[in-house]
Amino acid sequence: MNRHRLATELKKIFPADRVLTGDLELRIYSYDSSFMARFHDFRPDFVVLPRSTAEVAATLRLAAEHGLPVVPRGAGSGETCGCLALRGGIVLDFSSWDTIEEVDAANMQVIARPGVVHFKLNEHLASYNLFFPPDPGSTRMCTIGGMVANNSSGLRAVKYGTTEQYVLGLEIVLAGGQVIQTGGVRCRALKNVSGLNLTKLFVGSEGILGVITKVRLRVWPRPKARGIALAAFADLNEAPSAVLDVYHAGILPSGIEVLDASAIRAINLYQPEINLPSAEAILLFEVDGNPASVEWEGRQIAEIVGKRAVSLEFATDPRRMADLWRGRSVVAVAAARLRPDGSRIFAGEDISVPLNRVTEALYKIKELSREHDVAVVNYGHIGDGNVHTAPVINLDSPAEVGRANKLVDAIHRLAIELDGSTTGEHGVGAVRNQYALAEHGEAVSVMRRLKEALDPSNIMNPGKLLPPEGANGSA
Amino acid sequence: MLEDLTGLKEHYLRCVRCGQCRPVCPVFEEVRNEAASPRAKVFLAHLLAGGELTATSELAAQFSRCILCQACTRECPSAVPVHQIVIAARSLLAGKHPSLLQRTIFKGIWTRPGLLNLSVGLIRRCQGLGLLDAGLARRLLPTSSTLPGKLPRYPARAFIPEITPAAGKAKTRLGYFLGCATNYLYPEIARDTVAVLSRLGCEVVLPRTLKCCGLPQLENGEPDTAALMAMDNLAAFRRLNVKTVVSDCSSCTATLKELQAQQPLQDIEILDLSGLLLGLLDNCKPGRNAVKKTVTYHDPCHLAKAQGITLSPRQLLREIGVEYREMDGAGNCCGGGGTFAFYHYGLSMKILAKKTASIRETGAEMVATCCPACIMQLRHGLAKHKEAVQVVHPVQLLAQSLNPA
Repeated sequence: MNRHRLATELKKIFPADRVLTGDLELRIYSYDSSFMARFHDFRPDFVVLPRSTAEVAATLRLAAEHGLPVVPRGAGSGETCGCLALRGGIVLDFSSWDTIEEVDAANMQVIARPGVVHFKLNEHLASYNLFFPPDPGSTRMCTIGGMVANNSSGLRAVKYGTTEQYVLGLEIVLAGGQVIQTGGVRCRALKNVSGLNLTKLFVGSEGILGVITKVRLRVWPRPKARGIALAAFADLNEAPSAVLDVYHAGILPSGIEVLDASAIRAINLYQPEINLPSAEAILLFEVDGNPASVEWEGRQIAEIVGKRAVSLEFATDPRRMADLWRGRSVVAVAAARLRPDGSRIFAGEDISVPLNRVTEALYKIKELSREHDVAVVNYGHIGDGNVHTAPVINLDSPAEVGRANKLVDAIHRLAIELDGSTTGEHGVGAVRNQYALAEHGEAVSVMRRLKEALDPSNIMNPGKLLPPEGANGSA
Repeated sequence: MLEDLTGLKEHYLRCVRCGQCRPVCPVFEEVRNEAASPRAKVFLAHLLAGGELTATSELAAQFSRCILCQACTRECPSAVPVHQIVIAARSLLAGKHPSLLQRTIFKGIWTRPGLLNLSVGLIRRCQGLGLLDAGLARRLLPTSSTLPGKLPRYPARAFIPEITPAAGKAKTRLGYFLGCATNYLYPEIARDTVAVLSRLGCEVVLPRTLKCCGLPQLENGEPDTAALMAMDNLAAFRRLNVKTVVSDCSSCTATLKELQAQQPLQDIEILDLSGLLLGLLDNCKPGRNAVKKTVTYHDPCHLAKAQGITLSPRQLLREIGVEYREMDGAGNCCGGGGTFAFYHYGLSMKILAKKTASIRETGAEMVATCCPACIMQLRHGLAKHKEAVQVVHPVQLLAQSLNPA
C-alpha cells in the first residue's frame, strides 16, 4: 500500500490532528537525547498520538498487515535511540495519553496510562499521602510508559529499588493487535505468583515485545520526613569507601549520590545559590522515614563519613533539600556549562558495577578520559554502583567526536570487565545492543526466541535491545 | 546588531534534547506533541542554519508557535537561550519570505509614532462606528481582534507632558518608558504611574520622540528594526539627561534590557516599577490608606522569567495593605505573549483558561499584574468566562492608597 493510502487508513483510526505526516513533523521525531541520534536521520513514516487501547490495537493490526515497524515513544528523554524509528514505520507518541485512571488507595496501587509524567503522578499521589518511589533525574518530563519499558530507576533505587519492583500488572498490545493483561485480568492483589510472570518479561523490554497501554503500579506511604547529609571529600577514592562504611554500620539511606569535582562546578554554575563546597567529591545521603529516625540516621551518617570527609552538612530544610536534589538531577545536562563551546553527550553514560569496584571504575574512567583526551564529568547513584559519565565535547570537531566514540566503547567494555553491566537504568536501545552477547552469552538466543515467538515479523521496535541481526547467540 | 542564527551556533549545538523544556512550555502543555516543544524549535533552527532545511511557510508556522515567554530558556540546564534562537530563526525566515502585511505593520507603521497614532485612531473610529462588530459578525475579522477591547478616547501621550515635576522637592530624575499597550489601551495606568512617581519625589521625563520598545518587531522577524528602535529610545533619554528608566510594562523593560545587553548602550539603568516603588515608599513614607480588597497576583513571563522578579510586586501589594491571596500556578503564562494571541487565538485561549481557573479559585476580587499585555489577556479571559474579577496594575492600587501630598 502506498504512503498516501496508509495515511488515509491511519486517519480512519485517529482524528486527523492526531496523525502527523508532514516532513517537518516527522523530522522532529528523529531525535532523543542520545549522541547517536545526532548523526542519523531516524525519521518515521508516520506519527500517531494514541489516546485509547483500541487506537493502539487498530494501529498494530494495520502495521502487521503492511509489515510496518511500530515504535512507542514517551517524552523522548531517553539516551539510547529506544524511541526512534531506525527503519521507518509508525511512531506512537504517548505524550497526550496521560490519564491517571484510578488511585486505589485502599489497595495501595495506582492505574495510569503510559503518557503520565512521573513528577505529575507523584504530585497527584501526594494528596493521598502516597508515592511511587523510583525517582529518575528526568522526573519532570519522563513518562511512566517509558519508565516501565526501560525499567528505569534513579536517585532512590538504593532503598526502593527499580521500576520493576512496583509494576503489578500491565495492559499490553501485541504485534497484530491482540490485547492482554499481565498480572491477572481482574487482580488487585499485591502478591500474585500464578502463571508465568509476564509482567517481569515486559518490564524493560523496550517495546520489542509489545506496546504498554496501561500500568498498574504498587505505591507506598509517603515518608513523613526527609533529610540530606552532604559530605565533601578531598579525594574521590574516599567516596566509595564512605558509602560502604555507612552500609556496614547498618544504615540504609534512601539515596546515595556522588558528584566529582567537575560535576560540583557544573551545578554551581547552573544555580550558584546551591553553593556546593568545592571538593574532589561530594556524597549526598538522603534519609527518609519519621522525623526522629531521619534525625538519628542523619547524625549517624555524619559521624561515620566525618572520619573521611573534609566538610559536612545535614539539611532538613525543604528548600535546601529541593535545591540539592535538583542540582543533582540536572547535572546530567548542566555538565555542558563547564565549557563554552562544549556539549554534554549522552553516550557511555550509564554503566553499573559491583559496589566493591566503584572506586576502580571511577579511577579507570578518569584514566580512559585522559587516554582519549575527552573531558568527562562523573556523577551517579553510587549507592547501587550506577556510575554516570558525561563526556563534554565540541560537537563541531570531527576529531573530538571520533575520540568520544572510542572513549564510550572503552567505558562499556570496562563495565563488563569489572563484572558489571553497560547499563544500570537507561536501557540498551540501539546504542548498547552490540554488547549484548558479551554481557549475556547464550541467554541472548533465548531472548531471540522470545522475540520471534511474540513478534515473528520483527516489526515491534526493531533494531533495539537485541544484538544486530546476523550475530549468533553465543558470546 | 543582534546575533543571527549562525551566530547562535554554539548555543543550539549545546542542546542535548533532554526534554527538560517540555513541561514548562505552555504551548507544549496544550498541544502535547513533540513538534510543539521548545527543543524541536532548537533542532529545526540547527537544521535551518546548516542548510538542511529551506525557509518554508510550514517551517515559519512551527516557529510561530512560541510565546517567547522564556520559560524554556530559564529552565534549560545547558543554558540554551531558546527564545533568542526562535527570534533569530523568525528573522531568517522573514528575510527569505517577507510578509508584506507584517512588514508594513511592524516596520512601516509601528516604528513611526505618528503613523502608529493615526492607525490606532482609525481603529478607534471604526470601533465607534460599529465597523469592527460588523466585520466580526460577517466573519471578515478574526475573533482575536476583540482582544484589546474598546479603545479609550485619548492615548496617555495626549495628557502626559514631557516633564512632570516632582510633588515637593525632586529627589530623582527618572525616565518613564511608556509602552504601546499602556499608551493606547490603558492610559489610566500611565496617569497613575506618573502621578505616583511624582508624589514620591521623582521628576518624570517622557521623551516626545519615544518609540515602541521593539518587542513586536522581535516577535515578528524584525530584530534589527527592534535594535535600532532601542538605540533611538535610549538616545532620547540620554538627550534629556536621564540615567534611569522605569516602566510599568514588564514586556518593555525585559525587551529594553535584552536589547541593551546585546548593544553598546550600557549607561542607562532600566528598572521595573514595583522594585523602584518599594524603595521610594521606604524613603518617602507618605501617608496612606489601606486598600480593602482581596487581591491575587499573576506573574508576567517577561518579569518573572525574563527578569527573575517575583518578590517585589507581591511585597508592594502587601505594602499597599490589600488582603493578598497567592494563586496556584501564579507563574504560569496567561497565553498572551504580545502578538502570539492574535496569531494563535484558539491555543492562547486554552492556555488562558487554566489561568482564569486559578484566579477564580482564589476567590479574590482583583488580580494584579505588572504587564499591560497580560492585563489585556486576563480581562479578555475573565470576561469570556463571566468572572467578575477586576484586573489591575499594582500602581493603580498604590495610587488609590496614597494620601494627597
